[in-house]
Parts: sequence; C-alpha cells; structure tokens
Amino acid sequence: MTTASTTADADVLPAGERVQITYDDVTPIRFVMASVLWGIVGMLVGVIVALQLAWWPANVHQWLSFGRLRPLHTNAVIFAFVGNMIFAGVYHSTQRLLRTRTASDVLSKVHFWGWQLIILAAAITLPLGYTQAKEYAELEWPIDIAIALIWVVFAINFFWTVAKRNEKHLYVALWFYISTIITIAMLHIVNSLALPVFVGGLKSYSVYAGAQDALVQWWYGHNAVAFFLTTPILGIMYYYLPKAAGRPVYSYRLSVIHFWALIFVYIWAGPHHLLNTALPDWAQSLGMLFSLMLWAPSWGGMLNGLLTLRGAWNKLRTDPVLKFFAAGVTFYGMSTFEGPLLSIKSVSGLGHYTDWIIAHVHGGALGWNGLMAAGMFYWMVPKIYGREIHSKRLADIHFWVGTAGILLYIVSMWTAGITQGLMWRDLNPDGTLKYPVFLETVLKLKMFYWTRLVGGTLYLGGMVLMAYNLFQTVRATKPVVTTIEVVVPPREAEEPWLAVISSKPVIISVLVTCLACAAFLASEHDGVPKGGFASTFFMLIAFAVGLAGGIAVRSAKRKGERPWHRILEGRSLVFTVLATLAVAAGGIAEIIPNLIVANPATLAKNGAAHPYRALELEGRDIYIREGCYTCHSQMIRSMYFEALRYGEPSTMAESAYDHPFQWGSKRNGPDLARVGGKYPNAWHYSHMIDPRRISDGSIMPAYPHLETAKLDLTKTPVKLRAMRTLGVPYTPEEIQSAEQDALAQGKDIAADLAAQKITLAPDSELAAVIAYLQRLGKKPEAPKPGGAVAVSGGEP
Amino acid sequence: MKNVTSEPHEPGQNEVIHSVDGIEEYDNKLPNWWLFTLYGAIAFSAVYWFSYHAFDLLPHPSKVYLSDKKEATERQGGSDTGPVTAESLTTASKDPATVDQGKQVFMQNCIPCHAANGGGGIGPNLTDDYWLHGGAPDKIYNTITHGVVEKGMQAWAQPVGPLGPAKVKAVAAYVYTLHGTNVPGGKAPQGEREPAQ
Repeated sequence: MTTASTTADADVLPAGERVQITYDDVTPIRFVMASVLWGIVGMLVGVIVALQLAWWPANVHQWLSFGRLRPLHTNAVIFAFVGNMIFAGVYHSTQRLLRTRTASDVLSKVHFWGWQLIILAAAITLPLGYTQAKEYAELEWPIDIAIALIWVVFAINFFWTVAKRNEKHLYVALWFYISTIITIAMLHIVNSLALPVFVGGLKSYSVYAGAQDALVQWWYGHNAVAFFLTTPILGIMYYYLPKAAGRPVYSYRLSVIHFWALIFVYIWAGPHHLLNTALPDWAQSLGMLFSLMLWAPSWGGMLNGLLTLRGAWNKLRTDPVLKFFAAGVTFYGMSTFEGPLLSIKSVSGLGHYTDWIIAHVHGGALGWNGLMAAGMFYWMVPKIYGREIHSKRLADIHFWVGTAGILLYIVSMWTAGITQGLMWRDLNPDGTLKYPVFLETVLKLKMFYWTRLVGGTLYLGGMVLMAYNLFQTVRATKPVVTTIEVVVPPREAEEPWLAVISSKPVIISVLVTCLACAAFLASEHDGVPKGGFASTFFMLIAFAVGLAGGIAVRSAKRKGERPWHRILEGRSLVFTVLATLAVAAGGIAEIIPNLIVANPATLAKNGAAHPYRALELEGRDIYIREGCYTCHSQMIRSMYFEALRYGEPSTMAESAYDHPFQWGSKRNGPDLARVGGKYPNAWHYSHMIDPRRISDGSIMPAYPHLETAKLDLTKTPVKLRAMRTLGVPYTPEEIQSAEQDALAQGKDIAADLAAQKITLAPDSELAAVIAYLQRLGKKPEAPKPGGAVAVSGGEP
Repeated sequence: MKNVTSEPHEPGQNEVIHSVDGIEEYDNKLPNWWLFTLYGAIAFSAVYWFSYHAFDLLPHPSKVYLSDKKEATERQGGSDTGPVTAESLTTASKDPATVDQGKQVFMQNCIPCHAANGGGGIGPNLTDDYWLHGGAPDKIYNTITHGVVEKGMQAWAQPVGPLGPAKVKAVAAYVYTLHGTNVPGGKAPQGEREPAQ
C-alpha cells in the first residue's frame, strides 16, 4: 500500500491547528463499479426494448414484454447508472473541495448498499408488473420509502461533511450538489404520495388524480431530468473538467448567475410535457415560457465548460478524458437547445408522442450523462489507484464507437419522429386524413428502428470496453491512500445570517418574483383573459425593481464592498435555505392553483366525471401492470388532425377519477382516450390474443396469458374502498356489491363474445381489460338487472 | 496573473480570483450574445403572456382548434361529391375507377372486421343476401357514414370521421358490388333477406 501525501499551500495558509486528513476513496470506487455494472445492464435492456419495437417476437415472455421492460430500462439508466456515477463524483470531489474526510464511513456504506438493494428490488418488481405507472417513478411504495430513507442518509452524510469542512467557501460544484440533494428529496416525496391498497401488498394508488396527477408527475419527471441528470453532472463538470484540463474555470460570475437562474427557472418548466393537452392553458404557457427562459442559463453551464478548455484544445488529441468532457458538454448544449425548441407549443404539436422525444432524451442521456461519466471514470480511477489508465487507445476507441452510436441513434430517431409527426397531421385536399390507419405510420419507421438498434448496440459496446479497461487498470492493486495536512482556520466572526438574507440581491429577487406572480394572477382566470392593465402595471413595477436593483448591486460592487455571494458561500446553511426557496417557488406557484382547478369534486359538478365500474377498475389495474401507457396515450390534444383521428379533444373531467392518470407520453400505438365502443368486443378479444390477426404487421406484443389468468374478485371491494378514501364517490352499496357487479359485467362481455363463438371466462383478466377499454371516453353502462342478459348484438 | 486576490475589486480578464484544491477561477465578463439570449427570452415571455393571457390579442389553442374544425367541416361539406342517391351510387358501382378506389379504401380500413373478400368475421358477411341495416346502396352509404356505434361499427364520415364523404361514397359503391358474390367460407347470414337485383 502506497501513501501519497501533499501539504497544500502551507505557506499561504494562516496559522492554526494542523491536522492530517485521509480521504475515503473506497466509497467512490464502489460507486464507480456499481455505475459501470448497472450501466451495462440498463443499456442492455435498452437494446432489448429497441429490438422489440423493430421485431415484435422479441417480446418473449409476459414478464419481459416491452411495457414492463421499458420502465426497467429508464429506471436502470437514470437511477442505477447515472445515480451511482453521481454518488461516485460527489463522494470523491466533496472531500477534496472541503478538505475533510466524508463525515461517516458507516453512512457511506449504508448509502452504497441501500442504493444497490433498491436497484435490485426495482429489477425484480418491474418485470413482475408492480408499478405505479408514473414515468421514472414507477417503483411501488415500499421501494419509494426506501429511496427516501437512503436519500436522507446521503443528505446527512453530505451536510455533516459540509459542517466539518476545513475550507470556508463552498465551490460552485458544491452549490450544484446542494441543490440536487434538497430538490430530489422534495420531488420524490411529493410525487410518490400514494395510498397502499392492501395490507401487506405492494399495490398502491396515487393520491392525485387526472390533471392534478399529470402536473405533479411532470413537475417531478422534468425536474428529475433537471436535478438528477443535470445539476449534479454540472457540479461534476465544474470539478473534473478544470482538473483534467489544468485550466482555470472561465468565469466565476457566470457560475453564480447561471446556477441561480438554472435552479429557479428549471422547476417551472414541467408543464412543457403536457402542451396542447387538457391541462389549463395558463399552466401550459408557463411551462413553455420558462423552458425558453431556461435556454440561456443552461448554455451558461456549457459555456463555462467549453471556455475553460480554451488553451487546452491541443490536449484533446492525446487525452481521452478531455475528449469525453468536450463532447459531453457539447451534447449538453445541443440537448438544452433542443429542449426549449420542443417546448414551443406548435413544435411540441409535431414532436410530442413521437420518436423525436426519444432522440432528445438520448442526446442527453448517452451524450451528456454517458460521456461525462466515462470522462470522470477514466480520470478518477487511475488517480485513485496512482497509475495510468490501462489503455489510452481502448479509451479512444470507446469514445469514437460511443459517439458514432449516439449519432446513429439520434439521427434515426429524429427522422422517425418527424416523419411520423408529419404523417399524423397530413390531410388530403378534401380535409380527410392522408394516413387514417395508425399502423401505416408505424411501419414506415421500421428501418429507423433497426438503425437505432445498431446505434444503441455500438454505445453498449463502448461501455463494455470501458468496463474492461477500468478493470485492467485496477486489477491486482489497491487504492492509494491520500493524506493531506490541512490547517484548521481559526473561527472568524461571521456576518449574521439575517444580514446575508436581507441583502440587496435576495430582496430584489423576492420582490421581482412576487410582482411577476402578481402580474400572472391578475391576468387569466378560468381560461378567460382579464385584468390586462393591472397585470401590465405589476409587470412594469417588476421590471423597474429589477433594473434599479441591478444598478444598485453593480454600483455596490464598484465601490469595493465585499461581494455578497462570497459571503453566502461561507454560510452553508443560509445558502441551502435560499436554494430551497428558489426551487420551491415554481412548484408552489404551479401545483397549488392546479390542485384547485383540477379538483375532481369541482370537475364532477358538470356531470362529466364518472367513476369506473368494478370490472373496469380491475381492467385498468391490468392496463397499468402491463405498462400499456408506455405505448398508448389517453389524451387527444386540441388540434384538428388529432380530433379527426381520435375524436373530440380530451377534457380534464374525463380523467378526474384516474388515480394515477394515464395520459401517456409516447405513441407507439394509437391514442386510446376514446377507443371505448369504437370496436366490438370480439375485435378486442382477437386483437389482445394476437394483434396481427386484426392488424397485419402490428408491432404490439400478444397478450394470450390474459385469457387464462383469473381475477381475484374478492379483492375488488378493497380497491373500490381505497379509491373512495382518495375521493372517488363510490357508495357503500357499490363497494359491497363490487364483486357481483364485476362478475355481472364480465358475464355480459362473455355472452356477447359467445354469440361470436368465442369462449371467454367472465372473471378472466382479458374480460376486465375489454371492459376497461370499452369504457374509455364513454359514460359507464348501467349494470343490467340480473347479471348476464341477452346478447346486445355486436354485428354491425 | 496567478496570485489569488484577497481585496475585493473589479477583476480583469483572465485574472484568477479564487483557488480551491488546485482549481482556479477567473471572473471573466459574460459574453454579450449570451446576455442577449437571457434578456431576450425574458422579454419574449412577457410579451407572449400579455398577448395570450392578459389582453387576449392572440387566440388560445382551444379557439384555434374550433376555428380549424369549423373551416374543415365547411370544406368537407362543400366538397363536390355530387348528390348521393341510390341511383348515383348504382352508377358509381359500375364505374371501374370509383370501384377500384373503393376497394383500396376497403382494404385499408375494413378488412379487420369484414375480411379481405368481404366474407365477414367480427362484422357481418357483405357478400350474401342478408343485411342488418339494409342492402340498398344508399342504406350502405348511410351505415358507413354514421356507423352503428352501439354495435362497434364506427362512423366513418360524420360528424368528423376519418374517411370523409368522397371515400365513403367510393367504398359504398365497392361494397354494393360485393352483394351476391357469396364468397366461400363467409360468415353465416344475419339480418333480413334482400336478394341482389
């Protein structure tokens, strides 16, 4: 075992107690190994789901069908691959930036093993069909609780380390880590609130319904991208990129401005996932506008990264680490331009539900996250082991193979997405749809799906090369124990926290935010624009305050007052509180009004909201279990070509009792919001047994197992009761007779099918799915007296 | 250029102002084009909000949808398909071009339920002499246009259907030509007997 010892800047440090600090480099290395391992697993699942879209027989088993594997792929890549990468970077860089060892080895261990167990639990429960059906938040409630607990362990360990630091000022990387830790905790807890249905069971229903659930989910989903896939990686960039380049960070003031702008603005942008839907239009506009305002703060991060490389570009030829960082940051810039572009309502009208979005997220995940991870690993692992990387050449090959893979992937998905988006809206001169058969627009994409598969496989190959290279680097050696000597600075008299909080920049920011909110509040009400002049008045004051404040802050700086932000960087608690306020503002301003507007009780008043019948609810649970939402939306957007294909635009009331909402985000198959009654029961039966019986060339998996699987109707009343607890107005009688009613509705469907010489058990899962599908977009059918009655037809 | 300043002042270009763990920081000016992007996006957002949500100067998406729909319905209604009567449909069923167009529409939209040869399956047999909703050409046209929604036959042209009147006319003409072909393996008869004329 070797020991490296550095006495940093001993001559410039003030006198004080000298202490030896030994860094914990075992924890970061563990996280690196886990990240590489899970990264390969998650991307392998990605390659499998890509194959399933190109070639449907790859859906080999009900546990391994697309609807169950796609959530596994996204969760594995986000939380297992990138998650472990983040923890590796945070544990490694934080100690060095704070000149202290991580506070608790025990907590580090609990964090590491707890996180791996959560990943394992996800890898088991998702294929088994335990899901909350909310994207990137699919894991059921016990795992959600475990995530919250482990996150708290991480937070305690981190902030405890911050508290015992030997470096007064927090470097910009740490600002990003702080905002990550607090925001992810907030997002995860609020979005995961759910009611467990059974004692001792995994099943739960989201406490939010319909449009409420949609907004909370995408507030979460969008900001999981922001605060899990972006801010921690920016922090990592701010540490590892200047280290690897050996160049100073380009601009401190850019760091300050883009950090605060980024975390404040990001939170508001969630509704851009719900453009042109039934979400209130004011919320959609906020989502779009804040996405546009997010462009510059995002590019601030890219600029600070790329401009730091000034003077080091020649090293890119020889250093694979810098290649990965430069390309990663460039992909970040590309994705954060594409994001605001896609958030414009009319562009979203073309791109939403198509593969364009898939291209966009993979530009971010493979280009930004994946390449930054590789750069960090190739830099960190040799440093910790005190030796060179096993093979620079292999790392170079990884870079080129990976980059080629990304380009094949995103170019094919851009083409596929835009092609399909244009086909959906293409009209004949007489105003009818040019491609009325949805499947026709899918079959057009086959070639792009195969190309994407090649791209993804290349990228996975690069990951395997990296795993081999890193393994060869660390094989048969142990980490170098890094010990430094630091001088504990004497405690200085600190600025009182009240003075920090009541300083000009904070007051100005709060005032401008409040005035802008007042301008919003004074304008639209219930979809009707009003109070334009009051709104203008507030906005002008906000502008004046912002301008005057900016001048005041600048002149203070010129007079040589101590920079306010530098004081804040020395006060970690005050910093954390202000960051919390900045990220809380957008969520509060959007979610609370929407909870009121989209309240099911209010929506039910106009008679458009109806609870599901018992069997329909059972069918809905199967729809959720099978992950149907990964390919089918239930949201007809208010655009004429959508209405031509699917019927009148969806309304908020129609999903008012949907716990969770099933609006979806991608259409590999057609929208189902109004599929009820469109086809006879026999059509659905044949289509579920084998979709190709009905639609030649369909890429949908077959679901013959639903025919033989029996429902446990004794549990149906419990489900209705849980829904009642959440506010769905089931009467006690309906709950009591739920089992009989479900059976009666099943018998109606079975009798209708029998007339077509099809035998289906009334209590089969397939009967429930048919009942649910036939209900979508319609009012419930009143239960027929006496259960099964005469056939009601079925022959057009 | 390398020394870390302790006194606050306006730092120059490429001057190191802080250093931690060997990482140094410049405090360079923000690029003007970047500031322009930042302020430009904020200004645009204010203008957008006022145009849509405060003053109603520009139409909301829901209004745009309604006007698009109105315009399209007018265009569909105004499109010249000629008067649709039993006679005009009978004539159309003898026009090879129309029947051919109708056959294409049928193959794209109808075969999941009525089979490629019209022998039926989920839906009824269209080649025998029995009709549930009338076998006269205008009856067929009506059934396709408005559907029989309670039995799973969707409305293909009204109020806004995927096909529109011209294609429905063509496919009705084609279906009328199937009457009496009595394809082998067709579905058992349903409805009233109406022999082919």
